[in-house]
Amino acid sequence: MSEESTLDEFLGPKLTNTQMGIVVGGSLSSGLEVKINSKLSIERLAVGRYVVVEGRSGRRFFGLITDISLGSINPDMQRRPPDSSEEFVTQVYSSEVAFGSIHVSPMLMIDEDDDELRPIKTIPTHFSPVVEASAADVARVFGEEDETHFYVGTPLEMETVQVNLDLSRFVERSSGIFGKSGTGKSFITRTVLSGVIKSRLASALIFDMHNDYGWSVRDETGREFKGLRQLFTDGRVSVVTLDEDTSRARGSKIDRVLKIGYGQIQPEDVEMLSGLLGLSDVQVGALYYLRRRLGKDWISKLLQEDDSSELQGLLEDGRIIAGTLGAIQRKFEFFRRMDFLVPGEGDDALEDIFRRLTSGTSVVLEFGRFGDTLAAYVLVANYLTRRIHRRYVHMKNKAAGGKEEQPKPLVIVIEEAHKFLDPTIASHTIFGNIARELRKYNVTLLIVDQRPSAIDDEVMSQIGTRVTCLLDNEADIRAVFSGVSGVSALREVLARLDTRQQAIILGHAVPMPVVVRTRDYDENFYASIGVLEGNALRDGAIQGSETLFGD
Amino acid sequence: MAGDPTLIGRVTRSSTLGFVGALKSPEPEIPVFGMFCKCEAQRGKSDVLGVIYNINIEDDDLTRQIAAAERPTEEELADQQYVRQIPIEFEALAVGYRLTEAYFYTLPPQPPLALAPIRPMKSDEIVQFTNQFEFIPLILSASNLPVDALLAACLRKASVARPRQERQNFLLEAGRYCAKLLSHDLPRMDSFLRILCFEEKSAI
Repeated sequence: MSEESTLDEFLGPKLTNTQMGIVVGGSLSSGLEVKINSKLSIERLAVGRYVVVEGRSGRRFFGLITDISLGSINPDMQRRPPDSSEEFVTQVYSSEVAFGSIHVSPMLMIDEDDDELRPIKTIPTHFSPVVEASAADVARVFGEEDETHFYVGTPLEMETVQVNLDLSRFVERSSGIFGKSGTGKSFITRTVLSGVIKSRLASALIFDMHNDYGWSVRDETGREFKGLRQLFTDGRVSVVTLDEDTSRARGSKIDRVLKIGYGQIQPEDVEMLSGLLGLSDVQVGALYYLRRRLGKDWISKLLQEDDSSELQGLLEDGRIIAGTLGAIQRKFEFFRRMDFLVPGEGDDALEDIFRRLTSGTSVVLEFGRFGDTLAAYVLVANYLTRRIHRRYVHMKNKAAGGKEEQPKPLVIVIEEAHKFLDPTIASHTIFGNIARELRKYNVTLLIVDQRPSAIDDEVMSQIGTRVTCLLDNEADIRAVFSGVSGVSALREVLARLDTRQQAIILGHAVPMPVVVRTRDYDENFYASIGVLEGNALRDGAIQGSETLFGD
Repeated sequence: MAGDPTLIGRVTRSSTLGFVGALKSPEPEIPVFGMFCKCEAQRGKSDVLGVIYNINIEDDDLTRQIAAAERPTEEELADQQYVRQIPIEFEALAVGYRLTEAYFYTLPPQPPLALAPIRPMKSDEIVQFTNQFEFIPLILSASNLPVDALLAACLRKASVARPRQERQNFLLEAGRYCAKLLSHDLPRMDSFLRILCFEEKSAI
């Protein structure tokens, strides 16, 4: 007897073509209880798999296994278990008296006379048979890959089926990619952004804290992976750096260096750093006063080493006390350490970035060594976003008046998003506004974060599409599902994802929640994006030269 | 019976719940507890199917005298054991009936008439009848009978009527069916499964 058949004998038949069980209870809000077939081993099942419930009226219901449990007809059995040394007795018990059950969250339904997938509005009747969804069933739900649908992974144990993200819906609302550190958030983000850039549906402004997106990056094993700039060599991606030395040392091709002049910084840009710089409410209030009194060069004047008569005058006015001024000056020493902040007016980087974004070019802003300084990241992200958003609002308003074209949709990618969207500040920061106003001004966020629980609830409830890798903190899991109805049962699925290459995708861009093994970010992926390497590159070059110069 | 090996005895009294048969003397294997038997009813139109749950040997004055005698002779003992004046009675519980080659798992429409012949069911008939387990509730619902021991015994008979390789699976499936019916009473179910487990080991 082969090993496989011995296993089958032990575990029961494989799921394919086997009725898994029958519906024995449940509700639309809490999901369905399914008693599993006694011939089927519960050990063959896994949360996150798709099932189809064949309703008695001809309707078919698509659902997801969200929990697996052991039940018994008689609750006393737990206190009075059978003698497990007798195999016969155990086998007799393990079917009708003691049985396995699964909890299924129904997601979609298809009417008998209509082939269209519809959101779930009712549930199948008692004793409707439940079967595992076939590859064809699942493929039908997620459709074909095309210009606006991007292949991001495969459902668990269905390697032949593609899960395609509807990118037009993905960029329509703000989205989130969540997961514990080390679960592959950056790879998934890079994959999704590749799709967005390839589709030309939106430009992306990526605040690349850890230099993960622009140029090549290595994983823990030392394997190198291409960055977005290498995948799109036709100019669709620009890399702007804050730290030219680090970018050049990494061999990164950069398109420009960003320098921000002290004169360009407004008190609003600094206010968001209050927590990080330790500015009190009084000191934050004083910033506005100082800006008004000192003018455009307010930061330069505050950073002057020698005593300034202008500052002395402020103290003499009595509107600000020496202690407050001194504290602000000490805390502003931070600006001096940030090399990308320069005295004066800075350059036209902002205008250049805006021009690139509105012409359809995505911009990766590399932070280099400044990525380790959270205050620098928050300052720059806030600085650029506020100004770019303002311009988009202006463009959009002009477009509404018929004076200009609609601005190209923009996706702003921020990491460590909870630092920008903390409940105490989210209501009055630009990121909170963007998340709340949805696509009103063609600007949306893609937030990448490991602590979704630290993000403001109102903002989380506005996140359209959520791609979530493993999370095990209860508060984070709860936060990911906030504002999405009918998916609370998925929390068991989420808590049991593998630490690598598995994610649950739910929301606006997928017809139903799906647990995916994310697509490999490798040569095949590069090829699908259009990158040619090795022999293919050589052949392409030969063909090109023949076309140009003949044989 | 010595004259007709396919005859266990004849009906002395009956009801739709079962029937009582009588015979002169038993063979080593006929009748036995848990045995499947059949008896004509409705003038041969149907067969009432039963399982034997009791075999009763009554005494008489002479038996009591010989039992009290100091040294009964071999001839007296053999006369009382095999050439009895009072017949041996056995009682069968009706568990279904057969009508035009189809088996029904409910009580029969009419009991067998007095002196109707009672015959053992053949192996293939037992297999066919016990391919479904609906006879089990009839046994379990009988009152004032040793139903658990009876059910275990007749399941064993049904299993040995099958090829050796099918016996274990049959007992397992039958055990599961019984377990569903007995699950409200776990101590009883445990003790029944212990008996069945013993039957399973001896049948394999």
